[in-house]
Amino acid sequence: MDFTLLLQQLLNGLSIGSVYAIFALGYTLIFSILGIINFAHGALFTLGAYFTYALMGERFGFNGLLANVALPVQLPFSIALILGSVLVGLVGVAIERIAFRPLRRRRADPLLTVVSSLGVALVIVNAIQYLVGSESYNFPVNTYGNLPVAINFGTADKPITIRTVQIVIFAVSVAIMGILTYCINYTKFGKAMKAVAEDPITANLLGIPTDFFIVITFFISSFLGGVAGTLVGSSVSIADPYFGIRYGLKGLAVIVLGGLGSIPGAVLGGLVIGLVEAFVPADYSAYKDAFAFGILFIMLLVRPQGLLGRRFVQKV
Amino acid sequence: MKKSTFLGSALLLAFASLLSACNQTNSGPNATTTANPSAGAVSSNSIPIGIALAQTSNVALLGQEGIQGAKIAEKYFNDKGGINGTPIRLVVQDTGGEEAGAINAFQTLITQNQVVGIVGPTLSQQAFSAGPIAERAKVPVIGASNTAKGVPEIGDYVARVSAPVAIVAPNSIKAALKINPKIEKVAVFYAQNDAFSKSETETFQQTVKDQKLDLVTVQKFQTTDTDFQTQATNAINAKPDLIVISGLAADGGNLVRQLRELGYKGIIIGGNGFNTSNIFAVCKALCDGVLVAQAYSPEHPNEVNKVFRTTYVNQYKKEPPQFSAQAFTAVQVYVEALKALDQKSKVTAMPLPQLRTELNKQILAGKYDTPLGEIAFTPVGDVIQNDFYVAQLKVDKDGNNGKFAFLK
Amino acid sequence: MAEFLANYGFLIVSMVLGALLGLSLYLPLMTGQLSLASPGFYALGGYIAAILSTQVFKVSGGLFPIGLVLLEMLIAGVVSGILGVVVGIPALRLRGIYLAIATIAFVEILRILSLNLDITGGAVGIFGIPQPFQTPLEYLWIALPLLIVSMVILYRLERIRVGRAFTAIREDELAAGAMGIDPTYYKVLAFTLGAILAGVVGALSAHFLNTWNARQGTFDASIVYLTSVLIGGTRTFVGPVLGGMVFTALPEVLRAIADTAGLPLWLAQFLRDGRLIIFGLLIVLGTIFFPQGLVTPDLLKRQRHK
Repeated sequence: MDFTLLLQQLLNGLSIGSVYAIFALGYTLIFSILGIINFAHGALFTLGAYFTYALMGERFGFNGLLANVALPVQLPFSIALILGSVLVGLVGVAIERIAFRPLRRRRADPLLTVVSSLGVALVIVNAIQYLVGSESYNFPVNTYGNLPVAINFGTADKPITIRTVQIVIFAVSVAIMGILTYCINYTKFGKAMKAVAEDPITANLLGIPTDFFIVITFFISSFLGGVAGTLVGSSVSIADPYFGIRYGLKGLAVIVLGGLGSIPGAVLGGLVIGLVEAFVPADYSAYKDAFAFGILFIMLLVRPQGLLGRRFVQKV
Repeated sequence: MKKSTFLGSALLLAFASLLSACNQTNSGPNATTTANPSAGAVSSNSIPIGIALAQTSNVALLGQEGIQGAKIAEKYFNDKGGINGTPIRLVVQDTGGEEAGAINAFQTLITQNQVVGIVGPTLSQQAFSAGPIAERAKVPVIGASNTAKGVPEIGDYVARVSAPVAIVAPNSIKAALKINPKIEKVAVFYAQNDAFSKSETETFQQTVKDQKLDLVTVQKFQTTDTDFQTQATNAINAKPDLIVISGLAADGGNLVRQLRELGYKGIIIGGNGFNTSNIFAVCKALCDGVLVAQAYSPEHPNEVNKVFRTTYVNQYKKEPPQFSAQAFTAVQVYVEALKALDQKSKVTAMPLPQLRTELNKQILAGKYDTPLGEIAFTPVGDVIQNDFYVAQLKVDKDGNNGKFAFLK
Repeated sequence: MAEFLANYGFLIVSMVLGALLGLSLYLPLMTGQLSLASPGFYALGGYIAAILSTQVFKVSGGLFPIGLVLLEMLIAGVVSGILGVVVGIPALRLRGIYLAIATIAFVEILRILSLNLDITGGAVGIFGIPQPFQTPLEYLWIALPLLIVSMVILYRLERIRVGRAFTAIREDELAAGAMGIDPTYYKVLAFTLGAILAGVVGALSAHFLNTWNARQGTFDASIVYLTSVLIGGTRTFVGPVLGGMVFTALPEVLRAIADTAGLPLWLAQFLRDGRLIIFGLLIVLGTIFFPQGLVTPDLLKRQRHK
């Protein structure tokens, strides 16, 4: 393996991994506060892409209830991205109200929240399909303005190329990781959140509005899901309403590998799995997903708290 | 607590009674008559033909395209007088993307809706599961999108109008050589979790060898993949002049896009999976110039295709996709076979089991002039089709308007 | 009645199979372990039957002997049981969501293997699986006794020492361990019993569906069965049986309602194309309003006192 090829594979791995990382950030945030896995995250990811697409004034296709409809607004990509993700955040808050809070109030078995969130995912995905059909959509060509589509780190003769959009995704996921880590560890707000995560009842007695913090967590997690969905959609198009769900299982592998509930762990886990997939020899590329899940399985047996997770009392 | 358990048992009871109650009604919402199960004869008001395609799940798009084509056919042939005066009536049942869904849809169509024949299902794997059901019930089935090997062999009552397009793969490679005679190195990509792509790529690779070209690399991917960074850079490093892709629209389109963005400048050939306007949304302007072999051309000059194409364009503002044309064709085969049968003896007077069996014989015996061109069937029920095409994708700069331009 | 059976023969058998799969998921739940591995064993059992009946027991002409189907079911059960022990011993050290994730990974690994191996027919799968019966309804001859036997075994199991040990572990594993119950042994036992049942059902399903491929017994299927068990009820085996039946029938019930004459067109349309939206809503509402499931032990008790 010569040096150019090695570098290229390394970049390939980071490029694949950054998508997993950005997906996993919002996923793991909910776990860190509530100790539950929100299987609807994949559906929110999809929703983000569709909302942004709609806010840019793009037209929907000819299947579904809203055939050939376009919103009368035409926002630029960046603003549509933020607005669309805020909308996804609000949907997340609604989901918390409808599907999670009643169960939490009753101290129901956490397994029930898994089922409930799966039900929510089913509703969202099929509602999208019912409204706008299942055809593919894509953002306009000039989404990223004048940035080149790909950057060559090598020479013309020995190219080491990576697409710009992947660099954007990588940078955004690292930035989100930094901001979240800082907020949770060094601000008053974050400390309160941590208290809620440790022991909601005591936190409540200490005067921390538990429900409010849980709603905020859901909002942030869903907002991040929306951002991630839009960015990934701009990289690989919005294939169909199921497009976010497909990352769900891989995302699970990522957050377990990194450590459930660990924010840096989500990014590290994503990059590690991306690198593993990139370095699977071409002859065995069919088995690359099996490698990812194999690592997950072994990791669970050897070190269930993941690479960066801490041992914590089982809530589940 | 007590109250909720009572509620629960009440719900269960209601549920059980619903199933039996639903059985009392036995016709679709747009039915004008109720079928007469005892005699099993088709009512003289309309002749029901079943459409079992996916309206839900992740293959819904393919199913929806098929249903559009079938609906156009229904209107077109009924306007022309139906079956010598008796109109046909399509009964659509959703198969979803699963085998059990396809079996249930077939069952409902056969026993409840009393159809004379079925068009469907969407996927070849569903055909392997639901086909034997129709075979045992002796109901003719025409597949409109099943291209896998072995579908017509399911039984005597199973036929298809969707050609295994592997036959046409050589055409697109020859077309590429016409555009650029200097092609030497070829890279091949295929989706290895998709039955059709796997068999198609074998044909492509054979053609590459037959044309004395150098196959520099074969890259595999999954239809569920979205990031082709690794496969694309591996292929580009081998410096090919031609890249051949067998995959479906979303993954294939992404692959084209990523190859182009990573700097590949040569010709790209897509397989049958690229045969949908969905592809344009995925790779936008970067699709421009991709060559695709086709079993259908909107520009086919015969009369029925002209009508089909105009109707489709008026309704959906774009060129008809291959799956719509194939579903239209399947309905047309039923209509013409029923007409031929009706001339021998009145179909509305025939008992249903006899009608189904006679209809099946008639389907295989006939020749049809359809939007796909002249077709007929082999004794086992595979389609014999003469006209295949190569199209080149043409997209304008901002990527909003794409079309298939057919190469002569 | 005959017409009803002809119409819904396939569905009735599917409901029985659904109930059996619900039970296979319920068995590990008896010890408080959420395992989603059942669909993996179900897929494995199906492949065993599909390969044996199409390549090993070549029977020419006529119906496939029922004895051979039963033999395939036995082989599938044995193989699933062995694999259940091998996977169960390391995996059952995990609890709660970690175990669920580990079993999801196991199912995915099996799926990817079956998608790529030649013996499993790759992406196409195995088709033309021979039929032991003329009509789908006749599969009840095998499926119904299987369900009755499983239910009797579970009924007994819930009342003997083993069942009580299961319950003790579910309620409090530490305390159960302190009382001299070996949690690992019982957890692996419950897991393996579930695996055997899933494998046997898979073997029968391969014949029933005429074809078998990597799309059978995936994560999506796990979800449906998990839902049916949790909403049916996790405290008595009657819950999963009813839940499995109801959730197998639900899509078809919605289809039948959509076909009812006299509905407004928009509603019929919604029932037809939006079926899964309703399905999802029912799942959410079910978990919120029936956290114990629809069928709870005290419900059964009350029925008995009436």
